[in-house]
Order: sequence, then structure tokens, then C-alpha cells
Amino acid sequence: MKRILIQDTNGNLRKELRDFHVSLTSQLRDRNLAEAAQVVIVADIGVYQKGLVAKILPEGFVYGNLEAKHIPAIIEQTIQKGEKIAGLALEKKNKQMRLVLRNCGVIDPESFEDYLRCDGYQGLARALEMGPEKVIEEMKKAGLRGRGGAGFPTWLKWNLTRAVPGAVKFIICNGDEGDPGAYMDRSVLEGDPHAVIEGMMIGGLAVGATQGIFYIRAEYPLAVQRIQKAIDTCYAKGLLGKNILGSSFNFEIEIRLGAGAFVCGEETALIASVEGLRGYPRPRPPFPSVKGLWGHPTVINNVETLANISYIFLHGGEAFGKIGMEGSTGTKVFALTGKVRNSGLVEVPMGISLREIVFDIGGGVLNNKKIRAIQTGGPSGGVIPEQFFDTPVGYESLQKLGSIMGSGGMIVLDENDCMVDISKFYLGFCVDESCGKCAPCRIGGTQMLAILTRIAAGKGEEDDLKKLDEIASAMQKASLCGLGQTAPNPVVSTLKYFAEEYRAHVIDKKCPSGKCSSLVAYSINKEKCTACGMCARACPATAITGSRTDKYTIDKAKCISCGQCFEVCKFGAVVRQ
Amino acid sequence: MGITRQDLDKLKEAAGKRVPKDWIRVGYSTCGVAAGADVVYSVLVEEVKARGLNLDVKKCGCVGLCSAEPLVEVNVEGVPHVFYGKVTKDVAHKIMDEHVSQKKLVENHIYEL
Repeated sequence: MKRILIQDTNGNLRKELRDFHVSLTSQLRDRNLAEAAQVVIVADIGVYQKGLVAKILPEGFVYGNLEAKHIPAIIEQTIQKGEKIAGLALEKKNKQMRLVLRNCGVIDPESFEDYLRCDGYQGLARALEMGPEKVIEEMKKAGLRGRGGAGFPTWLKWNLTRAVPGAVKFIICNGDEGDPGAYMDRSVLEGDPHAVIEGMMIGGLAVGATQGIFYIRAEYPLAVQRIQKAIDTCYAKGLLGKNILGSSFNFEIEIRLGAGAFVCGEETALIASVEGLRGYPRPRPPFPSVKGLWGHPTVINNVETLANISYIFLHGGEAFGKIGMEGSTGTKVFALTGKVRNSGLVEVPMGISLREIVFDIGGGVLNNKKIRAIQTGGPSGGVIPEQFFDTPVGYESLQKLGSIMGSGGMIVLDENDCMVDISKFYLGFCVDESCGKCAPCRIGGTQMLAILTRIAAGKGEEDDLKKLDEIASAMQKASLCGLGQTAPNPVVSTLKYFAEEYRAHVIDKKCPSGKCSSLVAYSINKEKCTACGMCARACPATAITGSRTDKYTIDKAKCISCGQCFEVCKFGAVVRQ
Repeated sequence: MGITRQDLDKLKEAAGKRVPKDWIRVGYSTCGVAAGADVVYSVLVEEVKARGLNLDVKKCGCVGLCSAEPLVEVNVEGVPHVFYGKVTKDVAHKIMDEHVSQKKLVENHIYEL
């Protein structure tokens, strides 16, 4: 039996979709083919901006820009003969590449057997045969860089820790994922816990550590539960403990829970937190590789980094090094969120463009709005405006644009998002999360936030923009740890690319996107109003009164400037000033 | 004494032989559970039991399409292998009635990754 899947267009081309569906089913019936082919409307085929799209199974042909006139050909050639119609066929390219997420959604994360079936612990076995030096050599070939944000080469980190003499060393998995909107690590821990454990064991072997610690935030109970279960299974099977896989390698793992402070993702603060102290960062050097947990050499790797390692030792460092681009090898998992159609996790090879991620994989912007920018790297990152969407994604290329790769948050901003508001949000996050130990971060952040709040309220002065710049540069240079050094980044990058918008707030006292509620006022143009009443129903503050005969008006005293009436009015009668 | 390298290969081979022919996977990470995967999972398990089917219903992690959770992947002989998204209790029943029993795809819920 053939299956014809027609992609639902989410409200666009609704009539075309219905007509096509009706005439396709009736023509199939006329030819007595109703039993030979099932027509199904489906939510998503994964091809966008190509009009009406259909897919024929089991052949897997994808046809785009379909119209009713194509139906006879589809029936005669594809349904009856199984032939592809070259003129309609689209090539559906899968732009994702799943290395880290290779088992996520495929295996039962609580099943040891499932992981073994997918070559589990084979990478560890290979690493044990190679020995520590060759393991680090292999990592050098792979060129893997830390996925937590800074992008420090993993082999170098391991090598530094290995070189420090000491009988006791530690390896810590940093699962303190805190960027707003980012949840790659949670998903990996929950979906493929053994892969992270395997990566940690290989790391332990390389640096000479016999103790591994998972530092996971307590807000991730399911991740903690699955990692714990995986650890217990490994102990029961003898994969943890003494003489692992018949070798002389001994390794133990335990979990430490984080209480959810953003600063504890910083390695020195994380170490303090594991030791039971307050999560304060300390000046470096000495680096953790020299003097880390309890004063012993310690290597700290991010969850995604460790999940990559089991893959590298399964397929070889050289093969991994060929994926991605020069200087940024492998893949990166992004948590694609914001105003995008398919929000979720995507894993792409480095070097892909932002445009491909958002439009080809993410399916474009929600509700057909116009895209303004993409925010990457969370509160330590910046915004990237549309003219740079074709830049290949890599550590250096994003940095050049004033943003960072970060841990992998990617938030799509549309025409309704105000850049002042966005930077205020991120800075507010960092001010809340600042530990308060050093003055540049504690005082600088608070002052910058006060200025931004003033600008958003329409009380900004021209001098404010200069002040923002000055405080930002002081914070970047003088803060003790990464949190304070990078906290001004969202402000700096929006100031760089959207200076006009800041000026509109400060000089004209206007918010062009209508987000800053103190700077916009709504009213109803009586001439355009058709008295449909949609605005009154949408208003959450019951500020709109009137009737089908008198038309409607907005009570300025009650209006909270949320803009709901503006969104729902189909006649352009609600005016934003 | 724990398992050795040879045991690992043997275990892998044995595990490979125990793959069921027909299976359903339910995305059971935080994103799935938050969207109602637990209800969907129990409906599917009960239905399989009630119908006496030889069908493996399994919990797994998140495949990435979090906006369409709960996601259910169905692989049953005679029907193309598909993902169903935004699955509710009712859709779960439909999957059993239409997809599994009648070998017909369920409308409006198929997502491709």
C-alpha cells in the first residue's frame, strides 16, 4: 500500500491544502485506487518555503510546490508505477548530524543492554589498550574543544593535568547547565547516561584520575536518577571499581548535586561547591589542573564534551577531526528556542550557517514574522543580526561577530523583540546570579541594569550610552571570573548592531518594536474600526470598552500596553504610537 | 571479577539478537514527561497488554523535537515507520486502533525529523 503524506501548512495555504486533498482522494476513488493508497495529512515533513509539500511512502519521494493539476501525474506515475516525477521532486537533505545525540531517543537510557548493543564501552576498551599517552594523542588528532563555552582544546587540558605529579587526581563532569533556554546537557544525561560515564572513564584514564565526580544541578532530578542508575549498573557489572575490563585501571564515580547557582558552572566555584563551601570563584592561577578539588590536580569537562569522547574512541580521532571545519571540529548541539517553528535540540556539524539551522532545520520564524537576530551563547553571548546569518558556525567565527558559541543556547528574535529589552533581560539574569565577591561584577552589573531600566522606561539620557560602554569595558577587564567578564556581552553586541534602536529609546522616547510598555501607547482609529470586538475580547486588563454599534475605545488609564489588541486587529484599526 | 573485553563483545552480540521486530518508543525525558509522556506510555502499555500483542513498548530519551512532545515512534510490520508528535491519550488509542491494528497511518500527528 502506498501512503501519500501531505504537509499541513499551519494555516498558510489552507484553501489550497483542502482543495488538493479533496481532489486527490476523489481522483483516487474514481480510479478504484482508494484501497491502494492512503492519503494522510501530517504535521511536518521538514521541507519549508516550498508551497504545498507531499511525501510518498514507501519510496520516500518528496514533491514540492504542488497544485491540483499535478494530481493525475502523481497517480499515474508515482502511485501506479512507483516512478519519481523529476519536475516536482525536491531533494530533502538532512542537515543534522547526530554524534552526541546518536543514542538519544534510540535506546532506553536505563538499559545497560541497549547501550552495549550500540557499541557501548567499546571506546573505553580501545582506550585501555592504547594507554594514556596514546589516548591524548588521539584526542589531539580529533581536535575536540570544550563544549561548555570557552572552547579550550580538551587534549591540552588533559595533558596539563596529566603532567602534574600527584597520586590523587580527579575528573569532574560539569553538569551545571544554567543558560536560560539551554538544555543540551540535561537531554544527553537523560537520554544516554552511559556515554557520558564512558567519556569520563576515558578522561580519567588519560589524566591519571581514579575518582570521577558528576556535578549536576538538583533541578535535573531525572538526569540525576538516570546517571545514578547507570553508575550502579556499572558497579554491578564490574565496569567501575578495580581492574576495569581486566586491566590495571581503577575508577570510582559519585554524584554531587548543585543547588542551582549559575556561578557554580565556573570551574573554581564548582570545585568550592563540591567541597561543601560557598560557591565562590577564586583567582586563577593556580588552575584546577594544578590545584583543584581538595588541592589535587583536577580536570573539569562539560557533559557534551564527555559524550563526544566515547564517540571519538569508537570511530577514531582522525575521522572525528574531518567533521566540521578548520579549528572547530565535530558537531555542536544547540537548543534552538525563541520565535522558531520547531524548537528543540539540533545537532549540526560545525561550519554550517546560522541560516541553515534556523530556516532549514528550525523551519523558520513562527507566525511568518520577520527575523531580526539570533542570540547565541546565553547571558555570556551576544546577538547576531541578519546580515551575518551566512557565517559558518565555529568558535572563532562567532567570536568575531561579538557573540560566542557558548554552551549552545540559540534564541531566535523576531520583529516584536526589542534589543534594549533583551539585553536588560540577560543582564538582569547575571545581576541576580552574581556571587558578589568582586566589585566590577557586583557594582558594574547593577549600575548597567539601572541604566538599561531607565532607558526602557523612557528616562534615558544621551550620556547613558557612553556610560554603558565604559562600565562594560571595566567589567570585562576587571571581573574575577567568567560570569562578570562576559555579563556585559549582550549589551555590548546590541549596542554595536542596534545602536539606532537605543537612540530611538533615549532621544525619541520610542520603542520601535513596541515591547517597552512605558514607551508605547495604543489607541483605536474609529474610521478603520469595524466594531468586530476582537480587541475587547483579547484585552487582559478590560481596558477596551464599547459595543457593536458604538465601536470601541481604549481607556488609557487602564491600558497596560501589552499590545494584544494590536496583534488581533485584522483591520489595522489599533494604532501604536 | 568484572566483565572483560571478551565478555563485552559477547554481551553485545547477545543483545543484538534480542531486538524485537515490532516496537514503540516513547520519548521519556523531562521535555516528554512534562508534556504528558507518562500518560501516553501507560495507555500504550495497557493497550498492548489488553490486546495480547507481541509489541515492545519502550521508554527512551529525547530525539530533539521538543516542541512536538510527547513523541512516539512506531515501527510495526506492514506500515511505514513514523514519529507521532503531540500525542495525547486519545491519539495513543488511535495509534493502537489505526496504526497497529488496521495498518493505517494516523492523521495530523506525523512529524519528520
